[in-house]
Amino acid sequence: MSINRRQFLSLCVKGGVSAAALTSLQLQALTGSANAVELGDYKALVCIFLYGGNDSLNMLVPLEGEQRNLYEQSRQNLAVASPIALNSTTVFAGGVGLHPSLLPIKSVFDSSNLAFVGGLGTLLAPTTIDDYKNKTVVLPKHLFSHNDQQASWMYGREKQSLNSGWGARLLERLDQQDQFAANISLDGTNLWQTGSQTKAFALNKSGISKINAFGGYQPRTDHVTNIMNRIMGNTQHPLSSAYANSFKSAINNTQAMNNALETAPELITSFSETSLSEQLAAVAKTISVQSKLSTQRQVFFVSMGGFDTHDDQLDTHPALLSTLAQGLSEFDSAMKELDVADKVTAFTMSDFGRTLTSNGDGTDHGWAGNQIVMGGAVKGGDIYGELLTQHLDGPQDTGGGRLIPQVANEQYFATLAQWFGVPRSELVDIFPNLNNFDQTTLDFFV
Amino acid sequence: MHYKFVLMASSVLLLSACGGSGTDDTPTINGNKIPILSIANIENDITKNQTIQLAATASDKDGTITSVIWEQTAGLKVLDEPISANTVTINLPPALSYAPREYAFNVTATDNEGATNVKTVSFVARNSMDEFTAARLLHQGSMGPKLSEIRKAQGLSEQQWLESQIALPIEYHRGYLVKSQGEDEFRYINRIDGWWKATLRSDDQLRQRVAFALSEILVVSDANSGLSSQPEGMVNYYDLLLKNAFGNYRELLEDVTLSPIMGTYLSHLGNEKADDALNIRPDENYAREVMQLFTIGLEELNQDGTAKLDAQGNTIATYGQSQIEGFARVFTGWTFAGSETFKRKSRDYIKPMEAFSEYHSSKQKTLLNDEVIPEGYGPEESLQIALDNLFNHANVAPFITKQLIQRLITSNPTPQYIERVANVFNDNGNGVRGDLAAVIKAIYLDDEARHFGSVLSYQGKLKEPLLKTVQFWRNLDAKSLEGYYRTWNMFDNYGQGPMRSSSVFNFFRPDYQPAQLRDDELVAPELQIAGDATLIGTMNEHFADLVWSAAEGHNDLNSSGLYVYIKNDMNTLKKEGINTLLDEYNVLYFAGSMSTDTRQALLDLDAYFDDDQYRERVSYLLYMIAISPEFNLQY
Repeated sequence: MSINRRQFLSLCVKGGVSAAALTSLQLQALTGSANAVELGDYKALVCIFLYGGNDSLNMLVPLEGEQRNLYEQSRQNLAVASPIALNSTTVFAGGVGLHPSLLPIKSVFDSSNLAFVGGLGTLLAPTTIDDYKNKTVVLPKHLFSHNDQQASWMYGREKQSLNSGWGARLLERLDQQDQFAANISLDGTNLWQTGSQTKAFALNKSGISKINAFGGYQPRTDHVTNIMNRIMGNTQHPLSSAYANSFKSAINNTQAMNNALETAPELITSFSETSLSEQLAAVAKTISVQSKLSTQRQVFFVSMGGFDTHDDQLDTHPALLSTLAQGLSEFDSAMKELDVADKVTAFTMSDFGRTLTSNGDGTDHGWAGNQIVMGGAVKGGDIYGELLTQHLDGPQDTGGGRLIPQVANEQYFATLAQWFGVPRSELVDIFPNLNNFDQTTLDFFV
Repeated sequence: MHYKFVLMASSVLLLSACGGSGTDDTPTINGNKIPILSIANIENDITKNQTIQLAATASDKDGTITSVIWEQTAGLKVLDEPISANTVTINLPPALSYAPREYAFNVTATDNEGATNVKTVSFVARNSMDEFTAARLLHQGSMGPKLSEIRKAQGLSEQQWLESQIALPIEYHRGYLVKSQGEDEFRYINRIDGWWKATLRSDDQLRQRVAFALSEILVVSDANSGLSSQPEGMVNYYDLLLKNAFGNYRELLEDVTLSPIMGTYLSHLGNEKADDALNIRPDENYAREVMQLFTIGLEELNQDGTAKLDAQGNTIATYGQSQIEGFARVFTGWTFAGSETFKRKSRDYIKPMEAFSEYHSSKQKTLLNDEVIPEGYGPEESLQIALDNLFNHANVAPFITKQLIQRLITSNPTPQYIERVANVFNDNGNGVRGDLAAVIKAIYLDDEARHFGSVLSYQGKLKEPLLKTVQFWRNLDAKSLEGYYRTWNMFDNYGQGPMRSSSVFNFFRPDYQPAQLRDDELVAPELQIAGDATLIGTMNEHFADLVWSAAEGHNDLNSSGLYVYIKNDMNTLKKEGINTLLDEYNVLYFAGSMSTDTRQALLDLDAYFDDDQYRERVSYLLYMIAISPEFNLQY
């Protein structure tokens, strides 16, 4: 931890935190005595953020019986008509059907490289419908609001005066924050990768970003570069200094990344021309040159928009799921080709699930949903967490078919964090609400 | 500062009038004629920060004048004590605020019998912007000022410039929308081409800038959406922002709400009342975003934009699910104007939406502040009541004015600044709420915007990447021989484009705080799109524009290629030298804030080239300016 005591205390004071309230991890940071974690093999986490709130309850639907009846009554015209039966290790009443547009990931599921985690959402403590109605449990702030719920997923905790993303917190705990290549985004700036000491290197999805000004006659380029470096130092203003620092690191890191990527092997796996697949292709390419980037851990961020299906859901949602499944399946092939499948775990996050009721041709902002986790280290072919009964006005419905999550997203994150190398005893320092739940992690890794 | 002599024409007239007529109507007191006193005319347009003279002429018909005394009766003290003199020299102090300053003086003439004559002279001194203050105002108040525009604004007061801009006719973008050759329909790229033309050419720059800011608050986008096939509708939406930029926020809100583009974007177009049998309830999309983003935000605010706290120190939510459902019901029954039926849509993306009562929810609608629309109200009535309810919520003034200040002036306005402007939003001085012309004037004329008083160390904002290019293109007459501006790759180059946000939350959020600014507790929204890839993209775009695409460097121009023309700058360099050119750039691109270090760096950059490499010299100077931190700050 490179943050010094004075900086940290100043942060504490501004955050309204007294030293007595600090967690063990924070105290370690304060005293500089955090135990270094032995990292061992290379590992990477790939976050696929589905912006807008994926109707993820419709990714896994019941096939028969009472569950199916309740589902069809609840979802009416938006019920998935012909789901593909899924052989999950855990058996569920009514069976499990996969949305037909997710067909490309069925074989990944069947080969035990992909699992679902059901019934997830933002939660501060276990919450029942009575708790919700009687306000006996504190609820996450601004439920159902896009940017606030996106932020909660990315922070891995409630918003506070010193916000940081949990992706960045993992890197900081594992002392990787000084390696720019540890923290890579294919979608610009995002909260998940922004910490007190780190932010993501934003890679263009086409990979190498040529710098125009650095081509041409070398002596001239050298002269112009010298002047540029000088001029970047000419400001005392905090905002333009922040710009200048971003600019300088963009150039240095882009050049370093370009040098590494120039040595990347040509992959046999081909990626589709969707934005998601292009981003995942760039992630695969970057992973292929990992040994040249002197980092033992990497977090990647890719994203897909369009999940806010208030409208035309019957047309748009299948297309979105198909793009997602295609990208996942291609990425799975690429990781196998590079022989790093068990070192790389990809997982989804999204603002929230959606309502079971419709507004005619779409759904509105909900709460609980399902997520996908994929990689060689995942105990695939199964569904973890809870597969919620899609029952309008049922025991988990807060109204309109906004279901209460049965598993906190922090439990999901903690599981990923532990696999990534964070000691189990410190998970609660990174995800503070874990203390309110019996189970710290889910069991989806080998 | 220049010295001004005041003419004494009136006293001459007066004297000749007295001498020429046989009658003498000079008042007398106890048989003594009072002194005759006249004051020289003063100019009717007086500016601050100069020395002027006030002159009196006194005479006495039946005796002598014993004294002429000047005494200040109103205004900032410029005469400490009464002065005995026919002519007084007054140093009018420099501007300490935008406001014109009134002065008044009494001059008293006394004759040998002790009779007096008193006259009053009063005038108003206004601000006169120098080249730097004019440049700074225009950086804030235009899409990117041209040197000629700065020169024209010089000598005006801030208020005069703003009022002259507000009075200009509106340059609507629809006039710039043209189809590509051989095409039957408008395409997305035609809309972008039109945006460039209007932005580069129009004179109503303040309005264009405010509309651009509004397009980042009242967001619609045709990125990743079916609206990309509706360029006419999209342009019409932008024109609606231009039309209302100096109008009333209530009307703007209604125009936005009923826009078929917004209706499509946030899906309240075609939204219908509940069908309980099918578990269908009204779409909540617009209901939610019109509150969260277009009017009141999530948390109750004080007038100064800070969050209100309850007794436990927690923020207070502005609305809950019942209000969402109430407003969702309000926005039911609306579809394209001129539709045959609710389901047989006209697809008119221009005219405001129209309602079909039978698809409108007539149930009770819960609004804000415990207001309820009772059961039975129709779509038009409900909409009016609901928009009034939103518009009159106490949050609107601080919530909207803070964002306007952030888009136009500074990322981190003080609460006091927000409160001053929010007060104007609530009452323009004539009891009118939501008067945007008054709000815009208050934003620009505020001491904090104008740097009167002490200037905060973090004052200002980073320029939006797209607007940096706009300024270069406006000054360097960027164009293609074919006459089109087809910038397809704006997202890679700038991380933004007009009405191209990836969601209704805009390209960047007003509270975005990069790690580096945490200790200072500052935000820098524009840095949210300054990821490495975008920074390199913008840098590459500047290099391509300013170095590779200077028309003077090409013998044959590609007919579809965009070129900049740097001939004027080359001439200045050739005829008047590097220092004159840098002085000009200091005004034009830095509004006077070019540091000596930056100037020296630019001189050293220039020294690399041969003297007569005028094109390369200008190109590289402009490129280095484009990426320099001082240029990147709108201070």
